[in-house]
Amino acid sequence: MTSAGARVRLIVILIVAAALPCRADDAITGRWEGSAHIPDDELNVIVDLTQENGTWAGSIIIPGLGLKGTPLTEIKVQPPDVNFAVKGALGIQLKLRLDANNKLAGNFEQGGNRASASLQRTGPPQVEYPPRNTPVAKELEGEWKGDYEMLGYTRHVSIKFANHPDGATAEFVIVGRKHNVLPVDLVTQEGEMVTVDSHEMGFSFEGRLKNGKLTGAVRQAAIETPLVLVRAK
Amino acid sequence: MTKKIFGIVALLATLCAATAIDAQSMFRGDAMHSGTYAGPPPRQFHRVKWKFPTGDRVISSPVFKDNVIYFGGDDGNVYAVDAATGRQIWKRATNGPVPATPAIADGTVYIGSYDGKFYAFNAQTGALKWKFATDGERRFEAKGLHGMQPKNQTIADPFDAFLSSPVVANGVVYFGSGDGNLYALDSATGDLHWKFKTGDVVHASPALADGVLFFGSWDSYFYAVDAATGKEKWRFHGGEDPLIHNQVGFQSSPAVVNGTVYTGCRDSNLYALDAVTGKEKWRFFNDLSWVITSPAVADGKVFFGTSDSSLYHVVDANSGKPIVRQQGKAYIFSSPAVAGDVVFIGVMNGTLEARDGKTGDLLWDFQVEKSKQNGSWVLTGDRKFNVPLLYHSNWREAPLVANDQQIRVGGIYSSPLVVNGVVYFGSADGFLYAVE
Repeated sequence: MTSAGARVRLIVILIVAAALPCRADDAITGRWEGSAHIPDDELNVIVDLTQENGTWAGSIIIPGLGLKGTPLTEIKVQPPDVNFAVKGALGIQLKLRLDANNKLAGNFEQGGNRASASLQRTGPPQVEYPPRNTPVAKELEGEWKGDYEMLGYTRHVSIKFANHPDGATAEFVIVGRKHNVLPVDLVTQEGEMVTVDSHEMGFSFEGRLKNGKLTGAVRQAAIETPLVLVRAK
Repeated sequence: MTKKIFGIVALLATLCAATAIDAQSMFRGDAMHSGTYAGPPPRQFHRVKWKFPTGDRVISSPVFKDNVIYFGGDDGNVYAVDAATGRQIWKRATNGPVPATPAIADGTVYIGSYDGKFYAFNAQTGALKWKFATDGERRFEAKGLHGMQPKNQTIADPFDAFLSSPVVANGVVYFGSGDGNLYALDSATGDLHWKFKTGDVVHASPALADGVLFFGSWDSYFYAVDAATGKEKWRFHGGEDPLIHNQVGFQSSPAVVNGTVYTGCRDSNLYALDAVTGKEKWRFFNDLSWVITSPAVADGKVFFGTSDSSLYHVVDANSGKPIVRQQGKAYIFSSPAVAGDVVFIGVMNGTLEARDGKTGDLLWDFQVEKSKQNGSWVLTGDRKFNVPLLYHSNWREAPLVANDQQIRVGGIYSSPLVVNGVVYFGSADGFLYAVE
């Protein structure tokens, strides 16, 4: 064999080898629909998986468990194995493997229980992404303060808005018996409506910016308390 | 000259088509809630065009505007879905289930949620325009409800499945609430124009005709209220049931056609009332079986279904005389949709039925997958509710357990929408379906 021939063969092998993981990954990308066979019930499961800049992203829909477009976490795709968890308190994990029939089959796990699950690819991915921070109006930038009362004592609230190139941020502080700095996931302004959400703490503020006031309510779980914020002096 | 006439005819045809399409952007098709839709209807079932998954039951009925389907989900979201592809355009979260049907007007989606708020979203983007806090949602409740024990305990009614759906006209949006009020809000700002207090839950959807709102309450009264002022014009007293509160309350939403108001009632009657005076024209008794469905009215006939007796009825709109009576397989809470010569209706056993408009004969049906799976044998082999198994309980809370089980077979509470030969409806299995 000539050295030129060997070089060509090596290049071909390298190209094929490089393409193999891509093709395997392509086989995983998509919308997958099927069910988890928990006793006395078939849970419909719809999973969307895609790759962006070499990173896997996905979301899940489970009618009946209130999951719609819920983000996937801990996604590990090492074809034929596909493992991921579902963000949130339910503690769901799926451990799947792409089988010879191009089905993702394996286990659906939750709360120490395990059920078999099988999913079939039905189309391109429709991954849902969590809402992103929007910019806020110039007049909203800076610190806003207000008080509300719950269970007999007053809480002092401060929200400090700042604009950045990729959306606004907010510092959300509530001072009652303790000084609580809430981690903020989401800051949005749509017209007059302003939302500051601390998903981790299950706490949010939503208000309407009108006549120099933010009039709305703080919400913790199902408890909603009116709150008016005014610009801090 | 011929060209001119042709042009005028074409313009009129376009206007008519536009009106027909607009008439699909609120519950029951239009403000009078006739439940009729422009044809052509599919007389045969061909395929599932698409199905759209959500996180929970879809009790809400879909509406259509500018090639977009809008509906609410019991997962707390309000959805906008491409009518052609079934792809999600946007979703917006509320803080409670949304078993109400939206109304679309002036580029805005109006809908209420079990979180006690009423929302206005931008129809294109889903951006929140405003929201209004009612005095709070709740289900109808009573001590010893439906004969359940303990009889001194207040129990929320699991069959109070729907929230009131809004009607929008002349810059005002009207809807009922579990707090017992009918609200009139400025559709642009959400500011309160007026509210009308009744004695109990208002989950029926108001119909609007000639400047008057018509709706029933669980306080056993049916009301006619001036849309401009909120002043009562008349009220009609339905049946009472002080013993077990089973045969009381207007859950059905009315239809108003040619000066007559048609409404079902839990006292097991379908009523025809004079729209001006509130005087009863006729009633059709259903032997203690609720009429939850909102009647559809077309071609001088009234179409409706019943709950426990599972009957499909067509009666004469003028006299109430029976024309068609067909035995169905399971409870009917969904309201019939009349499109051309076909009537579509959802059934609680997870089946959508297409019936001939004249004879009531079944043309075709579509069974959702959960119904086919029939988990825990909720259904009998011929798709009826497996009553001895479902309602077996030593505790007298059987209806609560049974209702929960019934949901598992993908019961169809949602009222079908018919657009361009496609039928759209929701199921308790968590999907919105488009079949053709």
